[in-house]
Amino acid sequence: MKFIVSSSALLKQLSSINGVITTNPVVPILENFLFEINEGKLVVTASDLQTSMITELEVESKENGNIAVPARILLDTLKNLPEQPVTFSIDEDSYSVEISSDNGRYKLAGENATDFPKVPNVSDDFAVDMSTDVLSSAINNTIFATSNDELRPAMTGVYMNLSDSNTTFVSTDGHRLIRYRRVDIASENGSTIIIPRKALNLLKSTLPAENTNVTVEFNMSNAFFKFNNIKMICRLIDERFPDYENVIPAENPNKMIIDRNEFLSSLKRIAIYANKTTHQVRLKIAGSELQISAEDLDFANEANERLSCEHDGSDIEIGFNARFLIEMLNNLHSDRVSFHLSEPNKAGLIIPEEQDENEDILMLVMPVMLNNYV
Amino acid sequence: MSARAILHLDLDTFFVSCERLIDSRLEGKPILLGGVSDRGVVAACSYEARAFGVHSAMPMKLARQLCPEAIVIKGNAGTYTAKSQEVTEIIKESVPLYEKTSIDEFYVDLTGMDRFFNSFRMAGELRQRIIKETGLPISFGLSENKTVSKVATGEAKPNNAMRIDYGEEKPFLGPLSVRKIPMIGEKTYHSLCGLGIRRIHTIQEMPVELMEKVFGKNGIAMWKKANGIDPSPVIPYSERKSISTERTFDKDTTDVVKLKGMLVAMAENLAFQLRRGEKVTACVTVKIRYSDFNTYTLQARIPYSAADHVLIPKVEELFDKLYNRRLLVRLIGVRFSHLVSGSHQINLFDDTTEMIRLYQAMDRIRDKFGDRSVLRASGMQARTISRFNPFTGEPPPLLPNRRA
Repeated sequence: MKFIVSSSALLKQLSSINGVITTNPVVPILENFLFEINEGKLVVTASDLQTSMITELEVESKENGNIAVPARILLDTLKNLPEQPVTFSIDEDSYSVEISSDNGRYKLAGENATDFPKVPNVSDDFAVDMSTDVLSSAINNTIFATSNDELRPAMTGVYMNLSDSNTTFVSTDGHRLIRYRRVDIASENGSTIIIPRKALNLLKSTLPAENTNVTVEFNMSNAFFKFNNIKMICRLIDERFPDYENVIPAENPNKMIIDRNEFLSSLKRIAIYANKTTHQVRLKIAGSELQISAEDLDFANEANERLSCEHDGSDIEIGFNARFLIEMLNNLHSDRVSFHLSEPNKAGLIIPEEQDENEDILMLVMPVMLNNYV
Repeated sequence: MSARAILHLDLDTFFVSCERLIDSRLEGKPILLGGVSDRGVVAACSYEARAFGVHSAMPMKLARQLCPEAIVIKGNAGTYTAKSQEVTEIIKESVPLYEKTSIDEFYVDLTGMDRFFNSFRMAGELRQRIIKETGLPISFGLSENKTVSKVATGEAKPNNAMRIDYGEEKPFLGPLSVRKIPMIGEKTYHSLCGLGIRRIHTIQEMPVELMEKVFGKNGIAMWKKANGIDPSPVIPYSERKSISTERTFDKDTTDVVKLKGMLVAMAENLAFQLRRGEKVTACVTVKIRYSDFNTYTLQARIPYSAADHVLIPKVEELFDKLYNRRLLVRLIGVRFSHLVSGSHQINLFDDTTEMIRLYQAMDRIRDKFGDRSVLRASGMQARTISRFNPFTGEPPPLLPNRRA
């Protein structure tokens, strides 16, 4: 079997799906790309069993055939070749691959394509269309709050709830919770799934910059994302997502409205002086003044800033992990945010003051338990 | 580098001296201080009792046989801590840099003070001031480093002072017993005796390689100390890396309910200490010593926390895994390590508002009315565990009823 392909075109497609391949996979053949040629079309698959990505491109070829090619070596070769047509010749008995270019010839050992695990098909599925802009903003707004705790698998992914009026994306690690709702995506058939973080991270890096349509299809066990000439299939997390609606406080009477950028940059400065492990900062809201302070006793470091804010409610002193607040504020775009609090040991809500008409963002953060008897 | 001037101060028979301040009838009499039960050990004894061959850490039963006319006192850690604090205050006021290594021992760095004062005279004045203001006898040693100063204090006692000039360290240490070197305990002393080494002089003359061959790394350290080499600095205050409690039972037991109750009480109190000190822990360790003295520990990493409902179940879980020998247990203990400053991060799903409020209310009560004012019923039996605040920079008070 033989085919000719542009080195840069192939490199571009391979790079976009290469993220799936892990360095030490369970099955060694997963260190390869699966090449399948069918009537002038090359279909490349990369997989880690949980997530698979497939891309296709036109090649010059007379025969059909399959081969698994070591990903690392192939990518490194292509990266270092100047743009030119390269010829792949494959010996179907020994699975050896020979790449010829103007610069020379490279030989590497491939593997039998039939050993490559089959990628599941999604059948009996729901389908929904959304733009890449919508999908990427949903991912960006939620993925940072997912948990790393393997003992609670449900929280290591992003929960997606499709209803007939809107779609809700939720992520939480127990210390904060993000609810990102869109009214411009809806589906007649209500359905809920949990998409693993790795798949979303891959999507985030491969979604094209220009706005195109993404088709999302899913059933109980797999989800299928299709855009341009790339397809991604991922196994869903089959767990019950925690009852998030019940933990979001309905009414937090203490409201503070503040300039997001001022608040964010102040937190970033104060956090430098906080403990390096707990990143603990104290917020003290009195009248229309917000005081942010932190100290690190181990190094005798301390910092203190005062900001003006609009405040409606009683005075309060509350402790937070500054990293959580910084990540949340960083992911918002609104000029001003509203911070809703009730008590020093109850959840705080951050809500952007100005929102896109299709968006509804709510960020919840749990405080730390300050001892207030001293 | 010019010679340093390191002062070592040690309060003579500190616990006994404290008791004598309270009751002057104890003056000049043999006194034993420590656990009164059969298992108790002597935490301190007066010089009069030492004349009978009693020494600290000796089983109380044996000490009473050696010196039947001695007065036995249970002791009170609170009094000693308060008295020790008085001495600390005086030292803190008088010198630039000090380190408190235990309830009755201090190191002071007087390097460079000779330019303005005579270090020895200054130390002497400090000693007189402590004796005058607190009424406690104190001894000191002054030399170039910590080890030599400590040995000198030991030689100066009781109630006296000694100076070892720079360059005189080796001749001073030479004729002394190897037992006087701070790191040499009973075990090492016996192995040294077995090698025919009784005087420090012998170690001084040995090549360091030989000491290393016999005792490994410790051998090198011993050899250096024997030669009066000790560059360790005086460290004013060190942040605690871990907190722990342990308890030896009066009678070995297999009563799992009692053991668990004790562990719960320990974990509960330590968790309170964490919260009071605004610390969180990431590592929990449980320790068991069986009646055959075999000691086992088991530890687990956890996400940073200071909450009872995270720590207590973890301690119980570790105990269940660790306690599998159906043997009599002599000692159990709990340790929280990997401490960092911070407070418990409240969890959205695992922690309830009621629970957090409960902790805050209990902590406030304990802070106001004492550690034992409110506690879990399961831990009520454990009356004798140490409950001191570990984050004040003070060394732990050595309870007289605990093994030294």
